[in-house]
Amino acid sequence: MKAYTHRLWASHPGFHFLILFLLITLVAASCAPSTTPTPTSAPQPAEKPTETQAPPTVPPKPAEKTTFRIAVGIDPDTLDPVASTTSTVMNMVEYVVQTLVRIDKEGNVQPQLAESWEVSEDGLTVTFHLRKGVKFHDGTPFNAESAKFNIERMLDPDLRVPIRAPFTSIESVEAVDEYTIRLHMKEPFPPLVSAFALTTAGMISPDSVEKYGNSYKNIVHPVGTGPYVFKERVKGDHITVEKFADYWGEKPYYDVVKFQIVPEAATRESLLLAGQVDLIILPPASDLPALKQNPDVEVLLAPSDRTIFIAINNRDPVLKDKRVRQALNYAVDKKAIIEKVLFGAGDIMDAPMAPSLFGYCKVGEYPYDPEKAKALLKESGHETLELNFIAPTGRYVQDFQAAQAISGYLEEVGVHAPVKTMDWPSYVATITAPPEKNTTQLHYLGWAPSYLDAAQQMIQFLSTYAPPHGLETSFYKNEKVDELILKAKKETNPEVRKQLYCEASKIVWDDAPWIFLWVQRFPIVYSSKITGVSYIPTEMFDAIYARPK
Amino acid sequence: MSGFTRYLIQRLVAALLTLIGVATIVFFLLRLLPGDPARIIAGLLASEEEIQRIRVQLGLDKPLWMQYIIFMGRLIGGDLGLSARTSQPVLVEVAARLPNTLKLAVVSTILATVVGVSAGVIAATRRYSLFDYIASFGSLIGISMPVYWLGLLLIILFAVKLHWLPAAGAEKPTSIILPSLTLALFSVALVARMTRASMLEVLNQDYIRTARAKGLKERTVIFRHALQNAFIPVLTVIGLQFGALLGGAVLTESVFGWPGIGLLLVDSIFARDYPVVQGIVLIFSAMFILVNLIVDILYAYIDPRIRYG
Repeated sequence: MKAYTHRLWASHPGFHFLILFLLITLVAASCAPSTTPTPTSAPQPAEKPTETQAPPTVPPKPAEKTTFRIAVGIDPDTLDPVASTTSTVMNMVEYVVQTLVRIDKEGNVQPQLAESWEVSEDGLTVTFHLRKGVKFHDGTPFNAESAKFNIERMLDPDLRVPIRAPFTSIESVEAVDEYTIRLHMKEPFPPLVSAFALTTAGMISPDSVEKYGNSYKNIVHPVGTGPYVFKERVKGDHITVEKFADYWGEKPYYDVVKFQIVPEAATRESLLLAGQVDLIILPPASDLPALKQNPDVEVLLAPSDRTIFIAINNRDPVLKDKRVRQALNYAVDKKAIIEKVLFGAGDIMDAPMAPSLFGYCKVGEYPYDPEKAKALLKESGHETLELNFIAPTGRYVQDFQAAQAISGYLEEVGVHAPVKTMDWPSYVATITAPPEKNTTQLHYLGWAPSYLDAAQQMIQFLSTYAPPHGLETSFYKNEKVDELILKAKKETNPEVRKQLYCEASKIVWDDAPWIFLWVQRFPIVYSSKITGVSYIPTEMFDAIYARPK
Repeated sequence: MSGFTRYLIQRLVAALLTLIGVATIVFFLLRLLPGDPARIIAGLLASEEEIQRIRVQLGLDKPLWMQYIIFMGRLIGGDLGLSARTSQPVLVEVAARLPNTLKLAVVSTILATVVGVSAGVIAATRRYSLFDYIASFGSLIGISMPVYWLGLLLIILFAVKLHWLPAAGAEKPTSIILPSLTLALFSVALVARMTRASMLEVLNQDYIRTARAKGLKERTVIFRHALQNAFIPVLTVIGLQFGALLGGAVLTESVFGWPGIGLLLVDSIFARDYPVVQGIVLIFSAMFILVNLIVDILYAYIDPRIRYG
């Protein structure tokens, strides 16, 4: 009997799996605990000189560390400031690494590591006066040499710097004295100072570049000047930062901040409701009404710079008629969609850009008017139409759902455009296909300039930026608009520049290369026990000075 | 050389060829997917110059056959390359997450086995009783319930309402409870049904009747004789389930923010991070090939007929 059983066991495929199982268990058991942080030793800040007053008689009891917990949805691809691509990652990095200037809640440029700056008349010289007495987390001083190092690193062609474009007009950097740097420009670039708020231009300690596991080409342990010091990162799980005792500015309340990586929006919301985190971003949009009613949490629908629109293929034989495009704009009830599908997380567009951008001027509206839409379609000879309509899923707030609603509205004016979806990389490949191969007619997209200037928004209407040269996926071409945009790019007088953009905006609005939808709000939800939570209008939360009520 | 050594070499060569085959298939399969990795990794705000620069950095500007040769060359040297997204070695990315998935797979499987086999045995021995019906119905629900929904339900109950357990993450010792429960439920159903069916079949066999006739205690009959033989097909089911879980329980990892390999795999596919996807597929293939190799070698060692046959 026993021999029989043995033979039966050993010859069975299940035997293989038992071996696998046992092997794996052995391996798993002998593996180091899964939450070992990647080897990083936090750099010790220089010792504070001891006070010369009478020492306290009783040593104070070490207080428990206060921790602020935030749940985000993305595991950072990299913590290297120059390689930044997403606002959520920049949001986290900025606890540790700072820039010369920063953006405030209203979207204005404010001093940070630079106290003041001047731009020459011809726009070819930009001088920054740096803040004195600032130290990096490793104790080394922040000065012109370190600023120069960082800017040159950002311009180094060997490094991966996805958002290098705003800085490529810098010819060279000069350290004039210990606290002054001068940038010599190849050509004037008016938004340059504003661009220096980007994390791409973050200042890290030159000394740290070959330490703590870093290499010149890839920073994994950023050492900056920010209020918090990078402590540890467990990939896919969390990032922890600790308060910097020698911070030059106002010290934050919490000793520790922990960013937990939670890809699922519903789980993030559960964490907040369970009291296991203090702040989350991007909860499921459909829960916004309930969250607003909940006394345990506060909902902050932060204004952002992200415009959501449907890009119309302006080269298409049917869609190149302006009347058709305008009809599409009148056909959609944006207000209803914002209310019912986005649950309030949007503001109707009244210009081709968000109001927080420099160069914005209010242009007009396309109110919901299905009769007018039908009339325009009839006039252009297309009473019924069949259009190819694609949208991403999960890329923007309620993207696919809103697209479906829009499809419904279009149907009511005789435009048959059922919406299809696909994964993001395939979607991008489809909409950026060169004109001969491009099959899209309507596609849903969002655009958020990385710095608050019309320059980065208006490239969406610049014909030379169409694929394969860029992302003007509407293939819109209007020579007057091109002329105005190119002129504004170099105009050093801010008032004149504003007017140029305003003029261009009016033409674009009338030409309707897009179905102009809304400016998306960035939902931030946090515990009612906390106060001091704000936002920066580039899809970022501002909770450095959060504290218990 | 001895027959055993020859057999060993044969198997090693076969294993190597299999790995090369897997590597080739995954290499070309990935590049069939639409989408430009350089553009996705750089993000929409990157300029065309930067995207082209990244393309060159990733070696994607070279002709396909050259990319393949470079890839295979590195692979043979044991180099899985760097993640296109993070610029860190693929091995580091995988090693950071694999233990978490292993932990989850092992705990879920143990849970499913213990509960499933017990339920199956009881259902089989108390056939047509209330327990049997409840167990069958429970199994049906377990197999049908969507993991995503179940996971969220458990979170809402145990974390939000009761405040007993963490809703997400892998940091606390109690963090593994909810995710493994979620995963186990599906397996429990399968294991229980299989155990019950298999036990019923075995219990009808002659040798069971003999054992009972010999006057053995019922418990001995059930566990020593019946279960031991009934367990074989159940082991297959458990093994297959475990293999599936190792593949990374993506939905569970996603819902619970569990930093495992499944999530890494899916994120990498969505980001078109070819080196990481290739690396994960190869590592798993290597693991399975290794296990099969070990088992077959043990076999050959024990049973001379196999080497010569």
